[in-house]
Amino acid sequence: MHVLICGGTGCKSSNSLQIIENFHNILKEKGLQDEVQVIKTGCFGFCEKGPIVKIMPDNTFYTQVKPEDVRRIVEEHLVKGRKVPELLYMNPENKEHVSDSKHMDFYKKQIRIALRNCGFVDPENIEESIARGGYEALAKCLSEMTPEQVIAEMKASGLRGRGGAGFPTGLKWELCAKNKADQKYVICNADEGDPGAFMDRSILEGDPNSIVEAMAICGYAIGATKGLVYIRAEYPLAIDRLKIAINQAREYGLLGENILGSDFSFDIELRYGAGAFVCGEETALIHCMVGQRGVPTL
Amino acid sequence: MTKVKSLADLKAMREKLQSTLDVREKAENPESLVQIKVAMATCGIAAGAKQVMEHMMNKASELGIAAVFTQTGCMGYCHAEPTLEVRVPGKDPIVFGHVDNNRADEILTKYVQNGELVEGIIPVNYETIDK
Ligand code: FES
Ligand code: FES
Repeated sequence: MHVLICGGTGCKSSNSLQIIENFHNILKEKGLQDEVQVIKTGCFGFCEKGPIVKIMPDNTFYTQVKPEDVRRIVEEHLVKGRKVPELLYMNPENKEHVSDSKHMDFYKKQIRIALRNCGFVDPENIEESIARGGYEALAKCLSEMTPEQVIAEMKASGLRGRGGAGFPTGLKWELCAKNKADQKYVICNADEGDPGAFMDRSILEGDPNSIVEAMAICGYAIGATKGLVYIRAEYPLAIDRLKIAINQAREYGLLGENILGSDFSFDIELRYGAGAFVCGEETALIHCMVGQRGVPTL
Repeated sequence: MTKVKSLADLKAMREKLQSTLDVREKAENPESLVQIKVAMATCGIAAGAKQVMEHMMNKASELGIAAVFTQTGCMGYCHAEPTLEVRVPGKDPIVFGHVDNNRADEILTKYVQNGELVEGIIPVNYETIDK
């Protein structure tokens, strides 16, 4: 059995780390530590009802769990197989408890693409990413495609930026590839400053490996060997997880010199933002990274 | 850690690692899999349901059967413990009683894989309300 506990910022702030510790302790006390795996995941997207605890394989979705509820979950659910009804999500319309996320209205209409791994894998373990096919796209690009083909594929995919402008990604890459320069950089804009915005954080915290992989693919396509992530210093957890992912990727030869045995090399560094909203704008962001004032230019 | 050297290496690695996520992967889509519910109330546990379940889980993965195992509470057949319910996709669930390791193997190889009935079936006298 697997117990997935949300370790995202939302749930962390409502004490999910204590919940994780309690699970470890109580499972040990019952001699179940080998049978039940406890995994700290990224955000499930349901922070409003956090902390979230999910039990697999029966897909039980517990909401607003408190550290002192852990004993009951272990004793009732894990040992005896009886769900703890009070902790299940309650459908606000008919006041009925819903036991698994599949039947919750909130999740019913969702198809997760970018966030497919969030709340599913352990973001601090690259192997779980690899088990879900992580880095295979990069491997494919490096071994079977030329940079031009990668760009063509990107254009054909129709992928666009998710900011207001919706700039076509393939076109952006093509322009960068054509530009001649001694050193090119891939910049990942992880400066999420809009009031209330909390989604870059989800992916950074919940699935950092997909960011690393995507940046490397972009680097290959445009001929850059260095990547920079501009990230808010107010996102300590996202920073930690990203660092872990980068280090693990290096260890596995998925980042650094001669990635996957090819002659392509690429590495990533982090740059911290001081939390100025305007620094999410491209030119301001670049100024800021090179140590100038974060003001936009034309 | 030795570095991954090629796409083929990476794929081989994925294959090896995939099973660690099996439990979670399957939970996303339980309807398409064989579901086995093991009665694990006091008397089930006392009769050895836990060992049988463990044995059966190993056997299932050995045979390559994609199955989800869950524990349930009392099914009301204390006289026939350990009991378990097997639901093969598209078929009605069947409850088996007095399941020991041998019978567990039989259930997997004969019933689940080949659709043959094996001994120990308890006529189902309940219905579940589907959500
Ligand atoms: S942080 Fe836990 S669900 Fe979002
Ligand atoms: S406790 Fe086993 S059937 Fe009731």
